[in-house]
Amino acid sequence: MSEPTPELLTEVLSSVLEEAAFFMIEPEPVPPAFDGDVFSATIDFEAVRGGQLRLTASRNLARNLAANMLGIDPADPEADDQGRNALGEILNVLGGAFITRHFGTKTSFQLGLPAVADTVPEERRSTCAAAVRVDTGDLIVLELDLEPGR
Amino acid sequence: MALQLLVVDDSPVTRKMVRRAIGLCGLEISEIHEASNGAEALERLAATPVDLVLADVNMPVMNGMEFVKRMAADPALSRIPVVIVATPMSEDRVEEILDSGARAFLTKPFRPESLRDLVMEILGPQGAGHV
Repeated sequence: MSEPTPELLTEVLSSVLEEAAFFMIEPEPVPPAFDGDVFSATIDFEAVRGGQLRLTASRNLARNLAANMLGIDPADPEADDQGRNALGEILNVLGGAFITRHFGTKTSFQLGLPAVADTVPEERRSTCAAAVRVDTGDLIVLELDLEPGR
Repeated sequence: MALQLLVVDDSPVTRKMVRRAIGLCGLEISEIHEASNGAEALERLAATPVDLVLADVNMPVMNGMEFVKRMAADPALSRIPVVIVATPMSEDRVEEILDSGARAFLTKPFRPESLRDLVMEILGPQGAGHV
């Protein structure tokens, strides 16, 4: 089986953000680090190979993500309240979409529950990563850590 | 006939999204109940029967697969159709869920009209309260 590529992550990230959150997407180079007020969501999976996906975005993007998913104004306090949950939920959808596209729909897999933190680990150990800019001007980064092939 | 629905998902955002989709899809709804996992859903159903359940799979405490099996095994609940609304899954897993008693599988993200078509297919145009 071929190794996952940044292009695959970009394709999965773009299509899920367009379909589930109605964002317009522009692929961007992956930034070396995130500054400021960010949320970082992780989800573990076990398929042919196990691994973890990590999704990192600014609080502003998370707020707009929640607003788009819920059909409310980004200025609504609920959008800010639900930003963390929205990021976790979008990662949940990304997890299923990535695994079925990379490993195929005939491969059994287990997806964990998303966990969201308000900090980013300093060290980046990803197998590959992708970044896109959404129409609010904010970046969102998807990183994949995949265990070595068996 | 106005429908009573139960939305089962551990994510509050998803519960709200499903509520929104239900609101947009043109079904006549009298009430939408919510539960955050399968165990809570069974408690709610014991108190308030509904016409249809929309449930996630990947949940803490009691996942959607176990929930569907418990529903199917309970004569008082087995008549209530369960639609699984979840992230993309392997074909085997979807088959397993349907074999366990779920009536249909809807992949997230979904369009409101997909939900409407599914509910009308399961309950029929009269039962689905289409407006």
